[in-house]
Parts: sequence; structure tokens; C-alpha cells
Amino acid sequence: MTTRSFVSFVGPSVACMLVLIALPLLGVGYLALYQSHVKTELVEVTTEVPLFGSQTRKQTRNIPQPVLDENGDPIQVWEFVGTRNLEKAAAVDGLAQTFSSPRGDAGESWIGSLYREITNYEFWGALEFTLLYTFATTPAILVIGLGLALAVNSVTERLRGSLVFATLLPMIVTPVVSSLAIFWMFLDSGVVTAMIEWLGFGKFYFLADQVTTRSVIILYGVWWAAPFAFIILYAGLQTLPSEPLESAMIDGANEWQRLRYVILPHLSPLMTVIALIHIMDAYRVFEPILVFNSSVYANSVQYLTFYTLGFEDNVHKAAAYSILTIIGVVILLVPVLRQSFRDYRPVQ
Amino acid sequence: MAKLKSMLAAAAIATAPGAASADCGIDASGEVNVISNFFETLELLANEMEGCETDALSVDVKLTTDHKAERERAFEASTSPYDASAIANSSITPLQAKGQLMPLNDLVDKYRDEYNVEDQMLIRFGDDVMAIAFMANAQHLFYRKDILEKHGLAVPGTYAELLAAAEVLSADDSVDYPFGAAFGGPGNWERGNEFVNLLFGNGGRMFDPATSEPMFDQQEGVEALKMMGELTKYMSPNALSHDFGDVKRQLQQGEIAMAIQWGDQARTMDAEDESTVIGMVGFAPAPAMVEGGPPASTFWWDGYVIPKNLDGDVETTFRVIMHATREEVVEQNNDITLWIRSKYVPTQYTAAIIESVNLNAPPYPMTPQAELAHGAIGNNIGDFLAGKESAEQSLADAAADYRSAAADAGLL
Repeated sequence: MTTRSFVSFVGPSVACMLVLIALPLLGVGYLALYQSHVKTELVEVTTEVPLFGSQTRKQTRNIPQPVLDENGDPIQVWEFVGTRNLEKAAAVDGLAQTFSSPRGDAGESWIGSLYREITNYEFWGALEFTLLYTFATTPAILVIGLGLALAVNSVTERLRGSLVFATLLPMIVTPVVSSLAIFWMFLDSGVVTAMIEWLGFGKFYFLADQVTTRSVIILYGVWWAAPFAFIILYAGLQTLPSEPLESAMIDGANEWQRLRYVILPHLSPLMTVIALIHIMDAYRVFEPILVFNSSVYANSVQYLTFYTLGFEDNVHKAAAYSILTIIGVVILLVPVLRQSFRDYRPVQ
Repeated sequence: MAKLKSMLAAAAIATAPGAASADCGIDASGEVNVISNFFETLELLANEMEGCETDALSVDVKLTTDHKAERERAFEASTSPYDASAIANSSITPLQAKGQLMPLNDLVDKYRDEYNVEDQMLIRFGDDVMAIAFMANAQHLFYRKDILEKHGLAVPGTYAELLAAAEVLSADDSVDYPFGAAFGGPGNWERGNEFVNLLFGNGGRMFDPATSEPMFDQQEGVEALKMMGELTKYMSPNALSHDFGDVKRQLQQGEIAMAIQWGDQARTMDAEDESTVIGMVGFAPAPAMVEGGPPASTFWWDGYVIPKNLDGDVETTFRVIMHATREEVVEQNNDITLWIRSKYVPTQYTAAIIESVNLNAPPYPMTPQAELAHGAIGNNIGDFLAGKESAEQSLADAAADYRSAAADAGLL
């Protein structure tokens, strides 16, 4: 291929990546280095608020009011703060203090109190569940996806189409909607809770403690992502030539040996790809955290970004959380990417 | 259910019958875009606004429970895609403190007669009219008249009495739990709000008005939080994920005997298509934290603001808002909420709000510090309520978060 045609093929996608991926990333990095606010001063202001039936109540109190410039516009403060936002987001000061002098309540082991104090910091608490979710769901969807793919592949041709469709359903439903559906099923008188009660096991409160809340969210994650692993592995199975399988059978390999020594090696590059994409997805878990309203028991790094932007109205700290998310994803992906390079290295 | 509603918002708007009057006398062209929170009264007003549409004028109201993030981004941009926003006493404060709101004095003077603009509808900061309010609201006690009567219990006037009543009712199998309140909710805002109610009822303050330093972590706050902890013993174990919509459903399904709930939801207790406890729910002011003190609740107003950086025409926008909140709308929909206009006739469903105010429940503070403190509180006290740490520790964490947020916002 000439340089010219190479550039004309690759150029558009490189340009798109620069504009749509690199620039926003740089923008987020830039925002994270600054802090901005409108300059205010405390001024005594009388506010009047309505009650009902033409009554009002007046209150005079100190309220921050904008400081105006000579044109009568509020003065915007935009200051460079370096890594302060990142340090605040990751609670660096607090961590240092925790390590130098852990509080350690009576009767608690040193490690236990350290764990409790670290996860009490918003970011580290969120990171804990984010990692738990990522590492619990990734192997689960690989195993379940493989099982589903093998099962669907072994049924008669006529049934396969509808089976593939049915298996894909969880992936088709918008995550926020399916999270809500699951949440409602596990509420006080939801379908699952009511069923358990009807079966005579009594009332069960799934959202009342950490272990069950987390389990429900992780189960949701597996249910939602397993179809993704399934469809890729199922496609992989279609590319498996029949000759090696037949020769394995002639050599006397049983079903387990054929899976272990023929099918799995064939699928392993695909498994790497699934792990790669799912780790990225799982690390950004957001919808179930939002819907379950359960940040006490299960929080995620991505939710923190949303919260800081939406409720705290601090775009700079939100940007800092985004940077931390990106760093986390990159760290998690390094081993998978190395595996992937190995898989695709041209045979010398 | 609030969440389902918010998702069906778009569908509801699309299928809602066009508001009554096709002619609202606004002879203008262009667009009026409004962003709004989502509840019944706001939905009604949105339909009224969209009734002002003509061939030349398009009116569009976006109803969403995630209005806050969008509004704050829009109002700080060079031009805002929204010409007006629904607002309440907490959410107006950051906008006002940043100087983003358009004073409406001239427009009020010009159109005072045409729309009969009443003084109590005007939200003033000093001399500036910054918002037009249309309804008031407060949280108060909802209780099952039949159940309290069965046990010979009086309506609790203090939280101590409420706990005593709850203890008696925990032996009653006709309800699952004695008490309910919104201890969860999106962004933990409602959990923070329950704390603020008890804090003020206990004579506490959120922050020092002279320095903006937090004060909610002092003794009054610790007692308020411990009271929340006591209450959870009589609530569903899932309470930390319940919002006010879930509490409403618990009441309507007869699962709880008492609740703290928004006053404008009172009417739904007797809604035939939703409720199984029609005529059985009574309403009273929120219990007091201290004997003889004010009800542990704050009162609120809801209204509309116009930003300085709006995209459309300010006069047209103002007239659309005034048209939607005109007297006829109040008369025709008297029962749906506590309207601020003097045409409103109080009903049994709003009596408890009015009584709360008469008993000196304070207005929710209109300051940006309160908004930040509220968020930090809601986000941290869950750890105490879940039994992970002490009340003092939770409030200390909240105070640290508040300091950090207030410093970033230039308030400390």
C-alpha cells in the first residue's frame, strides 16, 4: 500500500479520534487543574417568602452576593490549583493521616480499622465496590457466556435464531430501565421478596445490608453483560473448523478434552477481547448505583463524578474524578492488553 | 412512584390533552423553553404553558427530576437554551449568589393588572424580584386514624411521643412497620432533608451566618441524627433506599401507620385508583423535637425564575409563566396543592401545612451554604444510619465535606 492510500484510509479515523476522544480528554485534564467560582461577599439581605393567604415572612440574614465589576457583571474567579482537585478527590491528606495515626476503636484489629477508615473516604469506598464489581463479574460472564454459547451451538439449527434472540434480551434493554426493574423486584413488597415470603421463608430485606445489596447489583451486572460474552463466543464457535475436532475424536479425546485442548485455545483471543471490553464497562458501573440509591452500601467511581457534577455543582472536582477513573481503567487494562498483543503477534 | 413518573414524563407530556385555552393573548413569535422539576402541579403548569403555542410561538417545557445539573450548566453558559426554570427555595440560592437571575421588577409593574400579580407571589432578595412563586409546601405527619384510635393513642405532638406510639404499634400486625420517612432518595438529598428538619426543630443551625463555618455537627445536630437512628428501628429495614414516592406507596398500601411526608401528597391518600386506605389517613403538623417547640419541618415555595443569559424574549417568557399561574388555573385546580394566590380556598389536605407555618416552622434557608451543607449531610449520615460509624463521626465527615465544597465555591 502506498503512503498516500494508507493516509487516506487511516486519516479520517485518526482525525475523528483526535476530535472526539483526545480533545475531550485534554479538556477534562485541563478542567481538573483549575477551580472556578463567582466572587461573593457576605451581605445582609432581606428576603421575603410567601406563606399562604397573602401572608409572607421576611427574613434578614447574611447571604453571599456576587461582587460586580465596573460593567455590573459578576466577577468570575478562575484559579490554577495544580493537583489540589486530584488530591482532594483521592483524599490524599486524609489517607496520610489514617496511615500515620489510625484511630482503631477498642476490640478492632489494626487492619480492620484501617480498612474501615480508608473506605470511609468517598473515593476509596467507591473504588472498593467498583473493583469488587469488576473482578466478580468478569470471570462470571466469561464462564456463563461460554456455557450459553456451547449450549445454543448444540441445539438444532431451527431453534438457534430464537434462542440467540432470547439470550440477547438483557443486553437490548436500556441499563437504567433494567436496573429499575431489578430494584423494584427486590423492594419491600417486590416480586422476589413477596415470592420468598409466600414460599414460607419470611420477609427478606435485600437492600438492608451491604452483602445483599452488593450481591444484587453484581447479579444484575452478570445478567446484563453475560449475553455480550455469549454472542462473541457463539460467533467464535461458528469459525471453528470441524477437522481438528474430528481428528481429536479419532485420537480418542472425550468431550472435556475436546473443549479443553481444541475449543478453548481457539476461543482464547476472543476471551481476551471480552475481558478487555467488559473490564472497561464494569469499571464504569453507574446505572444500578444510581437506581438503587444505595451509596451507603455500594458506590462507584463513575457515580461520584455524576454526583459531584449534578449535586455539588463542581465541574473541576468532577473532572478530577474522571481522571482518576481513566487512570484506574488504564491500570486494569495493562495485563489484558499485554495478553492481547501476545495473541495477535504475527507468527515469526 | 417518583422514578417511574420521571421516566414517563416525556410520554405524559406528549399525550396530555392540549391545555384549555388556545388563546393566551400573547402575540409574539419565537420560542420559549422551560426546564422544570417533575411533580403533579408542575406538570399542570407545563400543560398551561404549552397551551400558549401559536403558529409563530413555540413553547416547550422539559420536565425532569434531573433538572438541577442541566439548569446550572445552562445558566452559566454564554446563552442559556432554557428561558426559564422551575425553582424552589433551596435551588434558587446558588443561582442568585452567582448573579445569574434576571430581576423581574419592571415586568411585574407592567403586567401587574393584566395577570393580577399578587405581592405574596414575588420572591424578593432586597429590592429585586427574583422569582414568581405559585405554591407552598411543607413536610408533616401522616397517620392512620383507625390504627391510632384502636390503640387509644393521641396524635404524637413530639418525637418522644412518636417513638412511644411506634413502640406500641410495633406489636400491631395490621401494618408491617409503625413508621416511614424518605431516608434515601436521589443523591441522598431527601435523607439530608429529614436531618435538617430535626436539626432546626432542635434549635440547631446549619452554619455560622457570620463565617459560614459548619455548625450542624454540634450537639443539636448529634441529637437530631441520633433521633433519626431511633426512628429507623421502627421503619422498614430497606428504608435507606426509600424516597418520598416509596413512602407514599407504603402509606397507600397500608404497610405503615405513621409517616413524615410532603404535604402536597396528602390528597393522594384518598385517590381511588392508587390508595387502599381511603379516608383513613389523618394529617397533622410534624412533631416537635422539643416540648413546646416548633414542628420539626421547614416550609418551601415553588416558583419560576428567568436567567440573565436567556436565548428568547424575556417579556414573552414572563407572560407565558404568568399565564400558566393565572387565577383561573388556581380556581379550576384548587385541590391539587397549596396555591399562593389569594383565590385559593384551603382544604383538609393543606390544613396541616398551614398549621405548621402558624406554629412557626421556619422557612428552608435561602442561602447557598445551606444547599452545600445539605448535600454533604445527606451523603455522610447514611454511614451512621447503617450502623457503620458513630453519629459524631458521620457529622464530622459531613462537616469536612462541606468545608471542602464551600471553599471550592469561594464561600469560606
